[in-house]
Amino acid sequence: MTFAQSDHTSDLDTLPRMPVWVTSARAETLEDVAFLSGAALNHLHLVVGREEVPQALLRDRLALRAAETCMVFSGRPERAGELRDAVHLLRPGDLPGPAGETYLAWWRAVERSVSIKALGRALTSLEPGQIATWLDAGQGAPVGRAARVLEVVLTEAPRGEVPALILADAALAQALGWDQIVPLLAAGLKRADLRKRGEDLRIACHRALTFSAIEAVRLAADLARRAAHLKAVAPKLRAKGAAEAVAMFLTRDAVAPAALPLPDRAARRLCDRLVDLGALRELTGRDTFRLYGV
Amino acid sequence: MAKDRSDPELDRELTDLPPELRWREWMRRIEAVLFASASPVPREDLARVVGQGASVDLLVEDLAADLEGRAFEIAQVAGGWMFRTRPAYAPAIRAAADVGDQLLDLSEFDVAVLAAIAYHQPITRDGLKDIFGKEISRDLIGRLHAQGLIGTGPRSPRRGAPYTFVTTEQFLVAFGMESLRDLPDREQLEDAGVVGEGL
Repeated sequence: MTFAQSDHTSDLDTLPRMPVWVTSARAETLEDVAFLSGAALNHLHLVVGREEVPQALLRDRLALRAAETCMVFSGRPERAGELRDAVHLLRPGDLPGPAGETYLAWWRAVERSVSIKALGRALTSLEPGQIATWLDAGQGAPVGRAARVLEVVLTEAPRGEVPALILADAALAQALGWDQIVPLLAAGLKRADLRKRGEDLRIACHRALTFSAIEAVRLAADLARRAAHLKAVAPKLRAKGAAEAVAMFLTRDAVAPAALPLPDRAARRLCDRLVDLGALRELTGRDTFRLYGV
Repeated sequence: MAKDRSDPELDRELTDLPPELRWREWMRRIEAVLFASASPVPREDLARVVGQGASVDLLVEDLAADLEGRAFEIAQVAGGWMFRTRPAYAPAIRAAADVGDQLLDLSEFDVAVLAAIAYHQPITRDGLKDIFGKEISRDLIGRLHAQGLIGTGPRSPRRGAPYTFVTTEQFLVAFGMESLRDLPDREQLEDAGVVGEGL
């Protein structure tokens, strides 16, 4: 059986693209980097609000990317593949290990609306009072606020990159009026940026957010296209529970067939079929313990 | 959940005391709890014996300042606090009493395996075999497990989904580390002559 695969690319242009003067500019002064980050974040704000963007999935992918960056910052060798494995192959009662812990923190941080309680679930080693103090450390415009949170946490807890970046992203989301964290800062920062303070750090944050917002808009467009394709082929699936399975794929970075609400064999067949239809990818490259995602 | 465990008899707020005495009393309570506990006490547990609004961190800080000049100190380990004798008194303690083996009874090879797990976690028994060039006995793993130094981590995506091993909080406590980042890095090991540069 063959299916026409060309039509799902046609709606690629329905999402507004980032203007070229944002993506190609090189800025040096605080005024210029601030202008660009504002433009990029505003554009992202519009894109993220679009109905065709699978928001939970976008946040999940960005969380994985942020966790990966944190691994780089802390000098650990694990990358996206290992992080996914650590979380998806974790059985109840077992320890997630250092990489799994970091990814779980990001995962829990983006799972629910920004609140002290939700952040407390993600950052289990911090007390709520501490989280609240740090989250409110910044004032003024969104990026300055996030940069200040980052600075305060890193000054008081020099090796707490994970809480620092999660809380800075949370402060950014609050300042931008977003209900949930969209992990942006980590992926744009370099290891050396974390040692900067004051204006240097603010410039680094503006740059990081411009870069990440551009990337996030690209990722959002890509995911919107893939999600549209998955939704388009969904009616072709006749397996019981296929609708629930598709809903899971549309909200999660990766799903193990065993986690689907189908019997084992049926779940594996459904995944294989969706891969054949070009709606899913197998993410691990393995023959066993596979993980699927759009 | 945390509320269920707090003793209804315990007066946490101590409203009848003047602020200064109240603070002292909270500090002493924290001191008592840390003294009575063999393992680090997390912040949530300490928060349960002091007033609602009191900052455990500030209380601990004041207590640490009080202990200036004593033979023991408060150490922050693995997300909690515990009392610990100062390293300077290690020879005295060793000379007087045979306490060295209380916490850890590990052979040199046990420690080597433990270090391999710490650096390469999550790692399976097969992974350890690749590092040491020989089978690591279940006994040895069991011994580390029984001491609470390692735990089972995520399964390895291989035939039979074998367990991986990861280090625990107890491991950090035993070796006086706050996080795995405190493990000496390659450069420090070379400086100490533990590993050769050719390796």
